[in-house]
Amino acid sequence: MRRIPIGERPDWRARAQEAGFTFHTIDGAPYWDESHAYAFTLREIEDDIEGPAGDLHALCLDFAAAAVADERILASLRIPESAWDAVRESWHRGDPSLYGRLDFSYGGTGPAKLLEYNADTPTALYETAVFQWLWLEEGLRDGRLPPGSDQFNAVHERLIDRLRRLAPAGLTGFAAEAAAPEDIGTAAYLQDCAVQAGCATILLDLAQIGLRADGAFCGPDERPLATLFKLYPWEWAFRDAFGAAIGAASTRFLEPPWKMVLSNKGLLAHLWARAPGHPNLLPCFFEDDPACAGLAGDYVRKPLLSREGANIEMFSGDLRIAGAEGPYGAEGFVRQALAELPAFDGRRPLVGAWMVGDAPAGLCIRESEGPITGDGALFVPHLIEPG
Amino acid sequence: MGDGDPRARTVAATERAATKRSQTVSTMLVAGAGLAALGLGSLTRTAPSKDVLVYPDPAACAAEGIRPADACRSEYATARAAYPRTAPHYDTLDACARHHGSFRCLTDATATGPQGIVPRMAGYMIGRSAAQGVTPEPVYDHASGHGGHNGHGGSYCTGSGSRVSTGSGGSASSGKLVASKGKTAFGGFGGSGKSFSSFGS
Repeated sequence: MRRIPIGERPDWRARAQEAGFTFHTIDGAPYWDESHAYAFTLREIEDDIEGPAGDLHALCLDFAAAAVADERILASLRIPESAWDAVRESWHRGDPSLYGRLDFSYGGTGPAKLLEYNADTPTALYETAVFQWLWLEEGLRDGRLPPGSDQFNAVHERLIDRLRRLAPAGLTGFAAEAAAPEDIGTAAYLQDCAVQAGCATILLDLAQIGLRADGAFCGPDERPLATLFKLYPWEWAFRDAFGAAIGAASTRFLEPPWKMVLSNKGLLAHLWARAPGHPNLLPCFFEDDPACAGLAGDYVRKPLLSREGANIEMFSGDLRIAGAEGPYGAEGFVRQALAELPAFDGRRPLVGAWMVGDAPAGLCIRESEGPITGDGALFVPHLIEPG
Repeated sequence: MGDGDPRARTVAATERAATKRSQTVSTMLVAGAGLAALGLGSLTRTAPSKDVLVYPDPAACAAEGIRPADACRSEYATARAAYPRTAPHYDTLDACARHHGSFRCLTDATATGPQGIVPRMAGYMIGRSAAQGVTPEPVYDHASGHGGHNGHGGSYCTGSGSRVSTGSGGSASSGKLVASKGKTAFGGFGGSGKSFSSFGS
């Protein structure tokens, strides 16, 4: 794994405009950065990222099966009791999942270590699947990248294929917060994939979602939604006014409610307990577990529920060495052994492995200056070097 | 999407050998409008969300002259592609005919289960404005007298069971989605996230 200066395409902003990628710069700050790229060997991709991602996802499914059968686990994740039936029923019905992203600390030396599973509301999807792919293709075409370079990125094809397989008949809605460009962009991109998969669709702001008298969710035109993709965390959806109607609704959700048990930092403690010593897992414990003492003061304190690095604190020798502000933490914390992100030219990449359905499908890198990857992290493209 | 679709942006992979990446990547909607524009600019809550346009075929759409002919063709192609997945399926021809009228149903050659009868695609529906965020979808004849039909001439239904009444608007294509029975509540999602600016991760 190397960080290589490639130099940006002089016209990439125009290319982004053409492709519909409108949030490459957010609030005046860069988000897409192709001045350099990360280069992997095929062995690194397949043995260190793709393989482990598939293994860990399988472990997660085993854990989900255990969680829906054990109320103590659901309680440990602080999933409200009002959501338990919907979580369990969605699992027992076999409601399919569409996608997710496993985030790793990985620098090409030693095994990738799982930092979290964005199993419910991952973004950076379009940038990965489409614009990063275009970057590679144009780099090959223009001789900017070595002939034979490749990319771990079948995300676009797999999404369409997955939607073709799982979307039921009827109307499919895609809902997100319309005022957040990354969020509505992700929903709009998935809507595009669904149209290509032969679905009838509607794009919705979250506030436009309605609940019909017959128990189906709908958009403003009141057509019942057979499927509703919502880029909105389950823990909030269940707390909302419509929360009590989720369990009995005829509408099926993407992601399904059972993904709540994975989109939770408590997962990391449970996985470690179920597979202690797994090479891709870090020791992790709920904060009230005396086993935390075994971390010897070198750990990361993570709220059970948080996004984009918020409320994460790092400790070394019991000294707080880094921390991020945020609104999370009410549900409690886990402590995970510290696995600092590697430094390349003083920059720290976070490796995200995309799952589509139950198979690893691609990779994205978010790069930051500090040790915690926050929402200001840059999206940096990657390539697989010719073998 | 279909060949010749003027909105589809397709780029073929430089090499077609076994790779770790998609062979082709194409987008239809986002290349036209832009990802954020789809949401920010256009998802207005004041949109006349039940107003739709219904055409029997792309020629009728083009003849009306309010949309470019190539848009008519690509919208029809999108609806036609959604037909196999979104058509309502029935056990028997009789059951289908009760909903959609006699001689309006046929066997779905691709069906594997017991529900092998589908209505013919009678036409397609699009939103009256892009703000509705609706992608083109097939419509089916709706048998008069079925399900408390309101007596309008030219009535259709969608694959999800909603009715579309036509013939009362200003042009031949004007349609309106008929409200569902009972009262629909809105605004019940989003409240718990109000203090957060975005919800993705």
